[in-house]
Amino acid sequence: MIQATTAILYAPGTNCHEETAAAIELAGGRSDLVLLKDLMDGAAKLDDYQAAIVPGGFSYGDHLGAGRIFGTMLVARLRDQLTHFLEAKKPLLGICNGYQVLTEAGILPGRTPGQRGMALIENQSARFEDRKIRLIVSAQKCVWTEGLDGQILRMPTAHGEGRPLLCAAAAHAETRAVFYYGDDQGRPTMDYPANPNGSPGAVAGICDETGLVLGLMPHPERASLPAHYSQDGLRIFQNLVKWLRQ
Amino acid sequence: MAIQTIYTLSQDDPEARNWLGFFQRRGYSRLTSVRMERVVWLEGSFNIERLLPLLVNPLYQVAAEKPQLDPKQGPIVEIAYRPAVTDPETPSILAGAHALGESGLQFARLSRRYQFCGLDNAAAKSLAARFLYNKVVERIREPNEIVTTLQPSGAPDPVGSISLRGLSDDQLAALSRQRSWYAPLSQMKVIQSHEPERGRPYTDAEMEILVQSWSDHCYHTTWKSLGLLKKLMAATRQINHPLVVSAFTDNAGGMEFADGWVVTIKGETHNFPSSIAPFGGIATKHGGVIRDTLGFGKGAYPIGGTTVMGTMDPRLPDDQVPAGALHPGLIVSESIRATAYYTNPMGIPMMHPVYRCHPGYAKCFALGHSLGLIPKKYALKESPQPGDVAVLFGGATGRDGIHGATASSAAMTGDTLEKESAAVQIGHPITERRFTTAIPILRDRDCIHSITDLGAGGISCAAGEMGAGTGVAIDLDTVPLKDRSLTAWEILLSESQERMLMAVPAEKLDEALAILDRFEVASCILGHFTKTRRLEATWRNQKVVDLEMSFLWNACPIDSTPTARPVRVEVRPQLSEVSGRDEWGKAVSNVLSHYHCCDQSPAGSRFDSTVQGRTALGPYGTSGRMPTGIYVSAPLRGRAEGIITTLAFNPFYGELDPAGMARLMMIEAITKAVAAGANYREMVLCDNFYTPRVRPETAFDLVEMVDAIATLSVELGTPFISGKDSSSGTFEAAGKRIDVPPTLAVAAMGRVHDVNAIVTKEFKRAGNRLVLLGLTDPDSLGGTVYADTRSHRVGRLFKPADAQSVKAQWDYILNLHARRACVSASAIAEGGLLLRLFEAALGSGLGAEVNFESFPRGRRDGHLFGEFIGACLLEAAPGFEIPEKVPHFFVGSVTAEPNLKLREGNAVIWQESIANLTETWSRTFREVVK
Repeated sequence: MIQATTAILYAPGTNCHEETAAAIELAGGRSDLVLLKDLMDGAAKLDDYQAAIVPGGFSYGDHLGAGRIFGTMLVARLRDQLTHFLEAKKPLLGICNGYQVLTEAGILPGRTPGQRGMALIENQSARFEDRKIRLIVSAQKCVWTEGLDGQILRMPTAHGEGRPLLCAAAAHAETRAVFYYGDDQGRPTMDYPANPNGSPGAVAGICDETGLVLGLMPHPERASLPAHYSQDGLRIFQNLVKWLRQ
Repeated sequence: MAIQTIYTLSQDDPEARNWLGFFQRRGYSRLTSVRMERVVWLEGSFNIERLLPLLVNPLYQVAAEKPQLDPKQGPIVEIAYRPAVTDPETPSILAGAHALGESGLQFARLSRRYQFCGLDNAAAKSLAARFLYNKVVERIREPNEIVTTLQPSGAPDPVGSISLRGLSDDQLAALSRQRSWYAPLSQMKVIQSHEPERGRPYTDAEMEILVQSWSDHCYHTTWKSLGLLKKLMAATRQINHPLVVSAFTDNAGGMEFADGWVVTIKGETHNFPSSIAPFGGIATKHGGVIRDTLGFGKGAYPIGGTTVMGTMDPRLPDDQVPAGALHPGLIVSESIRATAYYTNPMGIPMMHPVYRCHPGYAKCFALGHSLGLIPKKYALKESPQPGDVAVLFGGATGRDGIHGATASSAAMTGDTLEKESAAVQIGHPITERRFTTAIPILRDRDCIHSITDLGAGGISCAAGEMGAGTGVAIDLDTVPLKDRSLTAWEILLSESQERMLMAVPAEKLDEALAILDRFEVASCILGHFTKTRRLEATWRNQKVVDLEMSFLWNACPIDSTPTARPVRVEVRPQLSEVSGRDEWGKAVSNVLSHYHCCDQSPAGSRFDSTVQGRTALGPYGTSGRMPTGIYVSAPLRGRAEGIITTLAFNPFYGELDPAGMARLMMIEAITKAVAAGANYREMVLCDNFYTPRVRPETAFDLVEMVDAIATLSVELGTPFISGKDSSSGTFEAAGKRIDVPPTLAVAAMGRVHDVNAIVTKEFKRAGNRLVLLGLTDPDSLGGTVYADTRSHRVGRLFKPADAQSVKAQWDYILNLHARRACVSASAIAEGGLLLRLFEAALGSGLGAEVNFESFPRGRRDGHLFGEFIGACLLEAAPGFEIPEKVPHFFVGSVTAEPNLKLREGNAVIWQESIANLTETWSRTFREVVK
């Protein structure tokens, strides 16, 4: 059997694709770096992959808005492939800028490409925040966090626009929070900088209704290798590999 | 062509809120609110409805076809790029629009409208001019302006001709001044005497190239005349270190790492531009030093960076800032914003964010390092071959940065701010990020014979240097321009950022261009390498440059530089020893809150320290804000081998004893790494000098410093492999001269065999014994933070042990670490033992008890606050002992209670909770950047 392969989508300005591949490899999985331009030119196909990750960075310089152009490209040029990918119940993860891309494309929270239900807006501090945070895993059913409910994962965050804003129609999506920023007692917190962006409800990541599509601001790939200060992030990639093997 | 506009307001705009606070703190007390409206200008035929998802997110933005800010609420200032200049966002907008099927969109621009409620129109405009735009490329758009096209327009000046024949010395000097060449008379005379044998006058392009290439900034005339680089290179050759792969000859230095890889280091200063336009200057400081990494060998990949700022005290009252200089508080806060703006999108982890102050830094010290990784087989460049193609790639060429090199080489004066602001470049990280991804691929496909970045001197310098051994012919009509009004010499000299030049073997050209295209990197075939040994350039069917390489690179006269020993009188400080609870408490508070010792994380936490997933230990501890003082990278993912970097920079020492400071910086940088367990035998160094404009006394100091580090590097066996010098650290205004203190920043880069074996600073266990290992001298308090807090910077600088003894101590520490005898360790630097105790407690949640009874004789405050460079604080199990022959004393012990306590036997002299001390330590920098 050919091993399932995860597509790590990157575009000009993406800068976390290589370490994301390294984390998947350590988790025992396989990945390809797939250039967005190759997808748009037909040189690569999303159909060839069993899962996909949009990693962090500043795609297209975050011009016009964080993740805006990458998100627009996905919707305008790859809508069919994307819809097919979602309908095939394949897992999709957006990390940091990737999370912003998925919300700009409307894939999170509602799986509605082209129709936005939430935005990730400028941090309350109006600054880029590089912090090591505690992430509380909720009981929300999500393939990426299976078996982790109630645990606290330590990993870095690094972003300037990570404060979720949900439109009224999508407000119920907040109930699908997968991660909360936690204080040193392990409780969801609004205290800065434990909650680095002022996220209402301390929400750090949410999934869609199927539990297949996850977006989070913190960086699990930077807390995965033995050299990192924490390997808690690896468990998210291990869950992916486990799911792909089932 | 039809032009449409979209005005957007954000419902919740933290940036506008931030600006309000920023301006109010800078004296605009009548300002009551700042609102920002972003404008998108679109030209062509397109369906605006279909473009809206790209331009606006209605969840948080409100869009309209007309301005939404109400002019009755306050004056509005609209800032846009100049008509001749392309917006950096234009390509992104066009790409997005074309993806949406709107290929009829021909051009797009952005502008920003600011509303300043509470100010009058004139005040609003002057505020905008001071803080919000760069006059070189941007302007205020007047409300009633009629716009017929958005596309760049303008016409270039024709090529000029310059003859120096018959000009007197005075006339030559006047010409040099008038053209902003800043060329010394000796150079003007050599150029003049060469004119007859050429048989024709110079073109303006040729003159500009000559004075630019011979400027101190490019040619290092001061260092050459004093023979300084030769001395450092000779010392490095003498050491003949087996790990050194490349030293001083390339854009960076290279050290062998592991498994066929080389790591590189380079430090670059950008003092002049950062002093007059900090945001642009600092952004391009990072862009430039990163390109030095990309231009090492056949292209290294950047894996780490630093930002090091020396300014006047950022808390200085306005009336004490020299006329014509920017306020240091503004320089610091703008520098922080610029570092975040550039290094975060580049995806380069911050290793060392360091901020220091000194009254001499009216012209600031702005240093950045870049670390790189490259396969060893690509670590050495080849010479371009005749027939190789010169490919220019990256950003388009504009008006920014023209005369940057010559202006940098001159002293800064009160009117420089206005006159030479054109010398400041604008940085666009997305452009550099694109080719950062492409270069390793070009390299690994053997498309590159040679590669270099375009920095000072632009195309002329990069092509001239790369083609020095062969000759190069370039066609300026191929160069993509962002400003249509550029004439030939401006295209040649423009220092527009984010551009690189490479020599591509002719048979690899198609492949190279295809790779650049795939990663959306703009490129052009600039020309080709020849056998003529000439630099030739054509523009609009004219030959605008035809210079012999031998004249360009060998004819520059080096004026001799006289030296004279400056008079330094050692003033003994009258520092009484502190005693009693109150005095001790005050002394500790003053040291912890000193700018050099305080919590600088309000700056550091704005820079990504973990991107790339290589960071094993970042600038702050794994919980909270404890500064680690070291950075550890695991460059090869999945492998345990690491690179450790450290930094030493102390402006207080240099003014007392430049050579002594230079030695201390070397020892400090290495000791910081040794304390963590890195072997000094597997370490290399990078030097960055910043000294006042050359006079006999400053030249003397410079020679002394270089002699000191060359000698010590041989004695220690630790080579310098890269460095940079700037001898223009002088500010002049209103008849007053302000010199920077003799400055040397030393960065150390070492190999570690297992990043998980690094010994960190924070305490590990209550009850453990604390020892200070190394030579101490409680009476040498000159240049210490402690002395500064008591308004004394005079006195004797601490003198370290001789090289043999220092090495013996390092070996002793390494031996302890090999036996895992110490569980925490840190090197003494600013703030002395006291600061290390506090930080180690902060990082661990534990405390420390100092017992003076076990201290050697001498003043207690001297022992606690003295900056005994080379000494280390070590934590070991309670029974830990050290042989008599190793200089040391026992400090006390780690406590479970998070307090810092000073005891003399059973009597507690002073104690305070770490929480309260942390508040004191946190306040200073928060005030600077809030």
